[in-house]
Amino acid sequence: MVPLSLSSPGEKVVVRSIGGTGHIAKTLGHLGIITGTELRIIRKNKDSLIVRIGESRYALGPGAAGMVLVDLLG
Amino acid sequence: MNDIRILLTGNPNVGKTTLFNALCGVHQHTGNYPGVTVDIKEGKRHIGGQSLIVCDLPGTYSLSVFTPDEQVARDALLTSNPDIVLQIVDATNIERNLFLTTQLLELGIPMIIALNMCDLADEQGIKIDSECLARNLNVTVVRIVARSEEGVGELVDSIVKLIEEKKPVSHREVLYPGSVTSHINEIGNYLGSHAKLPGNLSSNCAAIRLMEGDEHLEKTLHDQGLVIPFLDKCDPAERDSIAEDVLLARYRTAEEIMACSVKCTMGRVMPADLIDQVITHRYFGIPIFLSCMWFAFQLTFSAAAPFAAAIEIIFGYFNEIITGMDMDPFIRSFLIEGIIGGVGSVLSFVPSIFIVFLLLSILEDTGYLARAAFVMDRLMHSMGLHGRSFIPFLMGFGCNVPAIMATRTLQSRADRIITILTLPFMSCSARLPVYVLFTGVFFSAIAGSVIFFLYVLGIVVAIVTALIFRRYVFKGEPSPFIMELPPYRRPSGTAAGIHMWYKGREYLKRAGLVIFGGVLVVWALASFPVGVEYGSAESLAGSLGQLLQPLFAPLGFNWQLVVALIFGFVAKEVVVGSLGTLYGGEDTLHSSLAADHTLTPAIALAFLVFVLLYLPCVAALGVIRQETGSIKWTVIIVGYGLFVAYVVSFITLHIASFITGV
Repeated sequence: MVPLSLSSPGEKVVVRSIGGTGHIAKTLGHLGIITGTELRIIRKNKDSLIVRIGESRYALGPGAAGMVLVDLLG
Repeated sequence: MNDIRILLTGNPNVGKTTLFNALCGVHQHTGNYPGVTVDIKEGKRHIGGQSLIVCDLPGTYSLSVFTPDEQVARDALLTSNPDIVLQIVDATNIERNLFLTTQLLELGIPMIIALNMCDLADEQGIKIDSECLARNLNVTVVRIVARSEEGVGELVDSIVKLIEEKKPVSHREVLYPGSVTSHINEIGNYLGSHAKLPGNLSSNCAAIRLMEGDEHLEKTLHDQGLVIPFLDKCDPAERDSIAEDVLLARYRTAEEIMACSVKCTMGRVMPADLIDQVITHRYFGIPIFLSCMWFAFQLTFSAAAPFAAAIEIIFGYFNEIITGMDMDPFIRSFLIEGIIGGVGSVLSFVPSIFIVFLLLSILEDTGYLARAAFVMDRLMHSMGLHGRSFIPFLMGFGCNVPAIMATRTLQSRADRIITILTLPFMSCSARLPVYVLFTGVFFSAIAGSVIFFLYVLGIVVAIVTALIFRRYVFKGEPSPFIMELPPYRRPSGTAAGIHMWYKGREYLKRAGLVIFGGVLVVWALASFPVGVEYGSAESLAGSLGQLLQPLFAPLGFNWQLVVALIFGFVAKEVVVGSLGTLYGGEDTLHSSLAADHTLTPAIALAFLVFVLLYLPCVAALGVIRQETGSIKWTVIIVGYGLFVAYVVSFITLHIASFITGV
């Protein structure tokens, strides 16, 4: 398991857990970023990312991206 | 016949406003909801003898509240007892949208789902069996394409039919794990017999909301002196895990519904991904953004110029008519300087404001603005600001008024207030004429560099302000950047036009009155006591200037400069005009300033710094009051601006005197 902020563009990852609680974790949950969600990394600028889930794209700043722990799928 | 009250809700970027426009056309106005600063638009559609009253709620992903927008949507849904909840769902992205659906189903209010963008879904190979979806949810589902108004008539018919049927609501229920269900029942039973719930909220639904972590509802109940069974005994970690159980149950339900009614073929690389890779590129992203903004900026002020000129000509014409008429000079002055001057100041802002809103609306609709915010986030974050604050900042160089209004796109109140607080330091175009005059007189050789210095100084003060307030007042980080990047879409001219008209009208209504009033006050100061020459040393303004002058003596300002600053409150370019009056004619102002031995280059520079930093103009103040919704913050912004202006001017004076040796 690594933080989402360490994955590279083009990779497909699956969310294993959301570190931490509180509003950020909940916001992520309501956008559909929960344990088991598959994400594709579209772009990465330093620790900020753009990810795609199905048809939705989300931009995550460093704070949010660091909270999402993922495994690489390929 | 009764009116049918409809709450229109849905995720952001699903075409909610487009549907709202399709339903209500231009019959819209801002609804009044006490205690909120975010506007809710209300519209009407007449059908037969009935009226549909539609409320366009801010977009939201869930009923849980993280932003002021979401608070408004949640409060309206939970407490305002609508006849119907109309959820608009993006057919190309149905799974994410269904999360909100599972929450809305539990409210027990008759509900309709408008499945929008069915054409795009077809194109992308997403097949949705809307009948199966309707059966599964036990909710009416209507396929629409809001942009071309396809299916909107049918949607209206379904709304009327649903109301006439008066069937008891029996929506699909979310299946929670056994332990969660038993706690829901326990809490529900207790609330049913003890609590006074807001609106028509059922005790069962309230119990689920509490389990999900609705802090506002919890507070309402605690305020009633209630002890919520089970939950009040849990520690925060347990609460979080319960909230997660509820969350996962919702997603499972959404998935089940999806599985039987939606078939799609996905996974290929989409064109949008490629565009994203270019415009959010680490190195190209910022130049692309800046050139976009530069273009929009140029367009705004060059497109607004002819309108502004036309307004000026028309007012000049009125002016001439009145000058030609035989009347008391005092009344004439009131008409020309007061009424015409006042209306003129209001109208001169209108063209640029309308165009700014038109362009912003177009940029937002295409989906670019969200990417731009992402690109700028890192830079802004290091200054204690949110990525989205950059757009208002850039607009601020043109005119602070639309820039302050543009802070509405910021979600956290802290981020908004800090942005509004720092915005007046962006040197707007109205300050330029003052710089040009003084640098021409006192710094002719290095005029350009001095003006550049002033712009940079404004930015530096803004950054320092943001850092200070983030550090000591709004402690903590700017709210973390999580933002949906909406799909790229062709913007619609009508939607942008309606948006522009609506926002522009709001500006006129709210800021217009303040500006007009401000101009009248200054006119009165310059004209009384009766008989004095307009704005002369004997007028109230002149006396006030002489009275206040000792206060400004440490900065080296003479009383004329002080009076000019008072007038500059109307609009900063007025500083030039009023100095013209005070020094006996604008034509000779250049030489009179140069000849005034009380002024030195150092004092002139201190004065320019003061003009840059002090009070926002009355128009900006009007919108600050409107957008912060707080007199306290308006006063703080004014006070802080004056304080900073005074201190920085003082420092400037002494450094400049030291350098110039005077």
